Amino acid sequence: MARRSSSSEQCDIDMTPMIDVVFQLIIFFVVTLKLSSDVNPDIILEDGKHGVTLTQDNMPPSTLEIEVDRRGRISIHNATLTPSMLRTIINNRIGRHGYEFPVLIRADRRARHEEVRRVMDICTGAGIWKLSFLAVQEHKAKE
Amino acid sequence: MARKRERNKGETPKLDMTAMIDVVFQLLIFFVVTLKQEDILSKLTAARPAASTDEEVKNKDPNLINIVVAAEGFLLNGRPMRLPELDRGIERFSGYSKTAMVVIKCTKNSPHAFLVQALDICNKHGMTNLSIFTL
Repeated sequence: MARRSSSSEQCDIDMTPMIDVVFQLIIFFVVTLKLSSDVNPDIILEDGKHGVTLTQDNMPPSTLEIEVDRRGRISIHNATLTPSMLRTIINNRIGRHGYEFPVLIRADRRARHEEVRRVMDICTGAGIWKLSFLAVQEHKAKE
Repeated sequence: MARKRERNKGETPKLDMTAMIDVVFQLLIFFVVTLKQEDILSKLTAARPAASTDEEVKNKDPNLINIVVAAEGFLLNGRPMRLPELDRGIERFSGYSKTAMVVIKCTKNSPHAFLVQALDICNKHGMTNLSIFTL
């Protein structure tokens, strides 16, 4: 009698804790997922272990990140810009935030200085003297 | 009748969990696979002073540390060197003064990597007064 009941009925395991854990994991992965990154994936940064670590705190929303790829193409959020467009964007931002917003230059390690210089000249022409260059402090991304 | 009602109350209602667990595991595997870790980035800050006019004045400053970034390597106060020697040279200068002005002059065809390396070394030894010129 006892044998029959155990073979025909489903074994009762309490699923509740497992489902809880699995949902927690799913929520974690949903939150940390970045489906489309809006930076140019072709840009390879040089190593810079001793710079200031980039965190959410020292990167306020007013930060302007300008990308320069290895052929000297200037872009912001992977949208190509001409020098005059970049000048307009910087001037608009100065109008909104003053001269205090940080400017980050994400330049490819293979880019020539001449090409990075064009971006620096536009910034200094608009009155921004302090520029930061992005570098990789610690490699985490799998190739 | 009475027996049946009593049984319904006492037992938990049976819900088939199999389908839901399947879907949830599928989702979990999808998110695990698509998770991509990002590199930790750092920023190297430098000033870019106005062109040539005050450059002449600064060149006469005896405390000035002059790094030229060329296409083939670096020059520290006129002496050609590679990255390890530049590292040692800046380390020696940083022992005297961390606030001495470091002028990094880049030639037009030098790769951007060299400029970042030079800035990184200056940051490593705590030099705070960095400026970039273009030759």
